[in-house]
Amino acid sequence: MSASRVRAITQRLLHQFRRDRRTLALLFGAPLVILGLLGYLLRGGGDVPKMGVVNLDSGPLGGVVASTLENSKTVSATGMSQADADAKLGSSEIAGYVLLPSDFSVQAQQRRLVAPEVHLEGSQPGLSQSILQSISQSFVALAGQAGGVQFAPRVTFLYGGTSFDTLDYFGAAFIGLVVFFLVFVITAVAFLRERGQGTLERLMASPLRRAEIVLGYMLGFTVLALVQSAEVLAFSLLVLHVHNVGNVALIFLLEALMAIAAVNLGIFLSMFARTEFQAVQFIPLVIVPQVLLAGIIFPISTEPGPLQALSRVLPLTYAVEGLRNIMIKGADLSWSSLQLDVGVVLGFCVLVILAGAATLRRRIA
Amino acid sequence: MVTDTYAVEVDDVAKRFGKQPALDGVSLRIHRGEVYGLLGPNGAGKTTLIRSLVGLVAPEKGTVTVLGRRMPELEVLAHVGYMTQQAALYPDLSAEENVHFFGAINGRVDGVREALELVDLWDRRKSVVSTLSGGMRTRCSLACALVHKPDLLLLDEPTVGVDPQLRVQLWDRFRKMASGGTSILVSSHVMDEAERCDRLGLIRFGKLLAEGSVAELKARAGVERLEDAFLKLSEVSPA
Repeated sequence: MSASRVRAITQRLLHQFRRDRRTLALLFGAPLVILGLLGYLLRGGGDVPKMGVVNLDSGPLGGVVASTLENSKTVSATGMSQADADAKLGSSEIAGYVLLPSDFSVQAQQRRLVAPEVHLEGSQPGLSQSILQSISQSFVALAGQAGGVQFAPRVTFLYGGTSFDTLDYFGAAFIGLVVFFLVFVITAVAFLRERGQGTLERLMASPLRRAEIVLGYMLGFTVLALVQSAEVLAFSLLVLHVHNVGNVALIFLLEALMAIAAVNLGIFLSMFARTEFQAVQFIPLVIVPQVLLAGIIFPISTEPGPLQALSRVLPLTYAVEGLRNIMIKGADLSWSSLQLDVGVVLGFCVLVILAGAATLRRRIA
Repeated sequence: MVTDTYAVEVDDVAKRFGKQPALDGVSLRIHRGEVYGLLGPNGAGKTTLIRSLVGLVAPEKGTVTVLGRRMPELEVLAHVGYMTQQAALYPDLSAEENVHFFGAINGRVDGVREALELVDLWDRRKSVVSTLSGGMRTRCSLACALVHKPDLLLLDEPTVGVDPQLRVQLWDRFRKMASGGTSILVSSHVMDEAERCDRLGLIRFGKLLAEGSVAELKARAGVERLEDAFLKLSEVSPA
């Protein structure tokens, strides 16, 4: 073991990094960006879940519960009629509502037991939890007034249900994410290899048109991506039994669109990298922020305002939302929300295809 | 396809990379069926000139005409074969698959066997490129450049890493192709290769310093050996 030989290797590495400004920037910049984003997401004073309060109580206690909820800091509760509440629940504007029946006060005073109906939207378990917690907290205030009242809410779910676990919620998003991520990396690396080994130069010196190269690549990788999508989907549904009430063909359609987008994003972004190493560096820059902001882990409706705006321009947001719409809510193409999701993902595909084709010539010269 | 006298016409072409001039007012003509040697040291502008012929370099000044077509033009490239300096091949494909692919993108796959036989790789056609030796890769790369039977063949230092025996063999093939009407532009800094060309262009600092047959160049410099002629004729200071 020679210390000077080891030192030679160490020094050489540090020298190499000194020249590779990009890697340095990534090494020291990316952690701050990612952690900063996470911090802002969690502590940035995001919106609380929205819920409705339908107070039909003829006595005084319903009003107590309603005002406690409306003043609560953990949810944003609004009084509304039941018809209104059902409509808003259906369009996912509110994550749930509590129905205080006309005999609510009577029940509380005579039977010492209140059993209000709680209707939850159910597609986002985090939100459902917050709402149930806030409601039970509001009944603590009631217990102070009426004394020793038991609380036994009757919870119903619009989507999903009690059997709905975290995997069901994440699964839908991850089916798309896994495909998007892997296809992107593989395409970017393959395209850079084409450049590195000099074959791209040969392609450009042939009668091939840019569009033909991009289309050829797209079809080749799409074949692989579709097989992968099918595999991921089959594994999720048949082995993991991820909750799905939607049309499997629709899920596959959305996945295929994401795969095509990922292929072209890979081609496009590989223009901004010189080596395969640099292509892999796009992962923390392109993939991680999207994972944090696409509503996969944190519901977009509870993000801080500026991040919500950012989430709304990320294509992955719509892909994830679309997959959830299909798998959890059973949406089909007649739903305007799914039309929007599919439309945005499709638009993104077209955009990256054009961007890839337009920038191809520049990377040769 | 075209009946012009010239396979290549380069007129007053200039190109800089940053401030560094790579080509500085180069003009040259290559006749049909001629083997033209581009001779010059590393960094003289040989590769840039060749790349400008296939439209990979856009000149800032001047015009490039290939097989009668003003460049850049895509369709004419189907009649041009380009062998890059680096053996540009797909390492995961076999020799035959590589040659077939480059034939296919140029619209001709009927010459795969002929091309592989020309470079003595027909027996190794099933070998994956990453398992081939450096010299074999160079030959495979050459096969890829001529599989579509181009009218103009551009060879950027084609015999680097090729053993002398095979080099002689390859030059025989080049000459045979030239007598069949193929025009060949070959860049080199190896003098014994230069001797085999019909005409030579000496390029240095992006300028074409002298042009002519081997005998003409020797006579102009008043020396016996081509190497001395090259050194004498390229005695200029960089602009």
